[in-house]
Amino acid sequence: MTLTFDRLRKQYGQVVAIDDVTASFAPGLIHGVIGPNGAGKSTLINMTAGSYSVSAGSIALDGKRLDTLKKYQIANSGVARTYQNIRLFDQMTVLENLEVCFYPADVGGTLKEVTWPPYAAARRERRREKCMETLRLFDLQGYAQAEAGSLPYGRQRMLEIARALVCDPRVLLLDEPAAGLNHHETAELTARLAAQRLPDRITIIVEHDMDLVMSLCDNIIVMHHGKLLFQGTPAEVQASPDVQLAYLGTANDIDDIRAAAQDRRAQLGIRARRRS
Amino acid sequence: MSVAETLAAAKPRSGRAISFLFFAIAIALIVATPFLPNYYVRVINSLLIYILLGIGLNIVIGYAGLLDLGFVAFYAVGAYSYALLASPQLDLHWPFLLILLVAACLGAVTGILLGIPVLRLRGDYLAIVTLGFGEIIRIIINNLDWLTGGPKGIARLDKASILGIQVARPIDFFWLLLITVLVVGTLVWRLERSILGKAWAAIREDQDAARGIGINTTNAKLAAFATSATIGSIAGAIFAASQRFVSPESFTLQESVLIVLMIVVGGIGNILGIVAGATILMLLPEVLREFAEWRILFLGLLMIFLIIVRPAGIVPRSFGPDKLIRRLFGK
Ligand SMILES: Nc1ncnc2c1ncn2[C@@H]1O[C@H](COP(=O)(O)OP(=O)(O)OP(=O)(O)O)[C@@H](O)[C@H]1O
Ligand SMILES: [Mg+2]
Repeated sequence: MTLTFDRLRKQYGQVVAIDDVTASFAPGLIHGVIGPNGAGKSTLINMTAGSYSVSAGSIALDGKRLDTLKKYQIANSGVARTYQNIRLFDQMTVLENLEVCFYPADVGGTLKEVTWPPYAAARRERRREKCMETLRLFDLQGYAQAEAGSLPYGRQRMLEIARALVCDPRVLLLDEPAAGLNHHETAELTARLAAQRLPDRITIIVEHDMDLVMSLCDNIIVMHHGKLLFQGTPAEVQASPDVQLAYLGTANDIDDIRAAAQDRRAQLGIRARRRS
Repeated sequence: MSVAETLAAAKPRSGRAISFLFFAIAIALIVATPFLPNYYVRVINSLLIYILLGIGLNIVIGYAGLLDLGFVAFYAVGAYSYALLASPQLDLHWPFLLILLVAACLGAVTGILLGIPVLRLRGDYLAIVTLGFGEIIRIIINNLDWLTGGPKGIARLDKASILGIQVARPIDFFWLLLITVLVVGTLVWRLERSILGKAWAAIREDQDAARGIGINTTNAKLAAFATSATIGSIAGAIFAASQRFVSPESFTLQESVLIVLMIVVGGIGNILGIVAGATILMLLPEVLREFAEWRILFLGLLMIFLIIVRPAGIVPRSFGPDKLIRRLFGK
């Protein structure tokens, strides 16, 4: 089972956001996607999840085309995602945010749920159990009945990841999961994501936090101006002069890349605080 | 402790007293109705019909977050189903329950027919298109003289009977409506709590994110339109049977707006809120009957007042029937 991009291209009017990207993502690994602002990282995630259409080329999971499917069908093929700007169901409770993910599996039993209380109770209990289990992984069990929109920013990030994980996705797409988190939260997140590295799961993380990327990812893709600039292990990426150049123009070591990422994080932290 | 905290701490107990008060009033009213003069029974019946309509429309507006201003069309479909199938108009005299079934199915079909073209619309655009749809149905009824009697309407509808029991007096309809409201209310409440209900809420919150977790929003929305229309149509059929007369006048835009107001005033997305909203908007004009010309003004002032002091409605979304039951009978 592999996720593949074949000569993928995305154009917004005149802007070419993704230019002829071919790549493949093996299961069991965590793949990092890095690159400067505007490199096209989110666009890759958005096309894979079906939020954006594909201008040319194709995306396939297990040889089955994804780019021809509707967004909900892609989700039902086992692709789950988070968003660069958190998108929760704000007025629903934390628990409901996860429960509703069982819609595709359970909707067929709706009539029975409405008319036969014991069946409804059993279904609800089963959904609840699974959701609580996932919430516990992210230390959110105490918030189960809280309104999602009322959580602190960091918890909202965690909840969004929990929502993506609750139905056991085959492909997990995370767009800047550590954005706006403090050091402590980022460390926790890194540990939790490491625990989610399953043999049959493809995880793709877009992230500016180099510590997280370097410690978590097995394979890194570097994007630059919509092109795939480099692909390799964290060590290879750190050693690549091309990558340093892409990030800083004149960079000469990984510390500079880190510094750039730190700046970026500070910037996002401000944004996060404004949001909440 | 701040004022807000004090209030929050005091709430459960006063909430319980209020719950009991309203529950007691409702029970007393139900028990007293058989002894009330027909006039009042009719008022209560029309209140029950509005509650039924509110419960139906709330599925689309309150649960799925789609502002539908053409709801009265489904009410008309149900009413005319009864009028055509149980009157000298086409000389058909079907039994009431069969017509109710037909009306429910027709309602669902019209609901889906309206739903399909407006799937992509939201907010104001959706409101305008559905408003147009409601008017189109009314105008068709108004102009289809040979079938619907046009503006004159259809009179001399059959007396309804259910399994040999005649349902003709206002009090008969009171029981029929009460049972219908309780059954429909319970089912819809269970629907709200089902996985489909959660999906509607997700669509209301963020349609795109809802698709992202695998919800086929097309189907879920059509299900909302269909269930909502079914209930509207059932209410229409009962309405026609109780009036034994239908005309397009009963199905104007004003009716749609009134039902929306009941939902908004009472508490959007909450069945208890609809009961509260319908009660206020239906009974107040009766109470103020003496001030005939001023009624609308009073109503307007009341609305402004309520929207300022309780913008989320009289009963907030979070205080659903489950909470009420817990308050009443819980520890
Ligand atoms: N919806 C859109 N319409 C038009 N242009 C867009 C849209 N989304 C992205 N772009 C453009 O496409 C390019 C790639 O954007 P993308 O969001 O994929 O970058 P990114 O690598 O995720 O950047 P960042 O690190 O800032 O999140 C940018 O030039 C951006 O301005
Ligand atoms: Mg991005």
